[in-house]
Amino acid sequence: MSETEQTGHRRLDRLDHTRLRNWPFGQDYCLTCAMCSGSCPVAGIDGFDPRKVVRMAGLGLLEELVDARWPWICTMCGKCEAVCPMDIHIPDLIRTIRGKRERDLVPGILHKGLAAALKTGNNLGMPQEDFIYVLEDVASEIAEEPGFEDFKVPIDKTGANLLTTIHNKLVNTHTEDLKHWWKIFHAAKEDWTVSSINWEGTNWGFFTGDDEGMRTMVGRIAEQMERLEVKNLMWPE
Amino acid sequence: MEKWYPEVLKRYGFFTVFDLLIEYIKSGRIRLDKRRITAKVTYHDPCNYGRKAERMFGHGYYEEPRWILSQCIENWEDLTPNRKGQFCCGGGGGTLTTGYNDERVFYGRKKMDQIRETGAEMVVVPCHSCHGQLNAIKNAHGMDDLRVVYLWELVAECLVLE
Repeated sequence: MSETEQTGHRRLDRLDHTRLRNWPFGQDYCLTCAMCSGSCPVAGIDGFDPRKVVRMAGLGLLEELVDARWPWICTMCGKCEAVCPMDIHIPDLIRTIRGKRERDLVPGILHKGLAAALKTGNNLGMPQEDFIYVLEDVASEIAEEPGFEDFKVPIDKTGANLLTTIHNKLVNTHTEDLKHWWKIFHAAKEDWTVSSINWEGTNWGFFTGDDEGMRTMVGRIAEQMERLEVKNLMWPE
Repeated sequence: MEKWYPEVLKRYGFFTVFDLLIEYIKSGRIRLDKRRITAKVTYHDPCNYGRKAERMFGHGYYEEPRWILSQCIENWEDLTPNRKGQFCCGGGGGTLTTGYNDERVFYGRKKMDQIRETGAEMVVVPCHSCHGQLNAIKNAHGMDDLRVVYLWELVAECLVLE
């Protein structure tokens, strides 16, 4: 007979506090006031809400939290945290819970996208030559518009003033949306460039609770800044 | 970057989308025509640039995008609530790719109600996730005609070329 079956509850003094960092102690200062739940647009889905998550974490119900869908339906928007009178960092707790889930069980393509990015440099696994082809194709379209006749996309230019990253959907399903920034740069006579490798601006480890993956993706952007000797980076939008 | 590569922060300059646009506009490097957009416009505050940036970096980007918007359009209407108190559109945190699509549509109902209340024909957003989400759910909320526009897309549309 397990301890839980015998006593009907878990011994708080025997919780492994390293698994959720300091979150089990959150119950000591959570007032259960439900300001968080009242502000949450998805409170109630699957019977969960932010207060319940905080209480469950405090009671050591880690497996139940990790197995639940709700931490992946939450967008970590921070409204709960903004209204919490005790300043409990609920979105951080959600992200930590996400990070505890077996990678193969991460819903949808989040982990697959990150895995592809870690392996190839971008979430799509898009080869460099395909990437260059897409960029130059879009550039040629811009060059057909009045006022942009001499437009070219500067790929891997050394010593540029500004480096930009690219969201993977802009070279996949939304290539038209590459044009906006490029037209602005052209009009502003900006000295800019984009890297042909490790150009990925998203960082899905942020979403999956994968700090190590996140660090790698950030490091690659830093590497491109150094390799291309740029002066500034435009933060990924 | 700050957490793992602090030395990089010291060696290079960094611009948010807002910093860059504001510099281009204020310095006169780009000029904008306020007469081109005749649609009724509103603005959505993304969580990452608002509450989350405020908590993580000590600054929420609330006024910067609004200033830029006002360089492109004479009159536009804010959502209620807005800035720190805004409602999430439901597309952040990676949810666009989790496959929980019914939940995302449900999540976005408050945002769509806000937009509908302003009568806006166009909503401007400076975030890829918000842009994707609002486009993904507008049909389910009966707002097919709503135009979802990136802030820099709006700027590009208002560019005065020499």
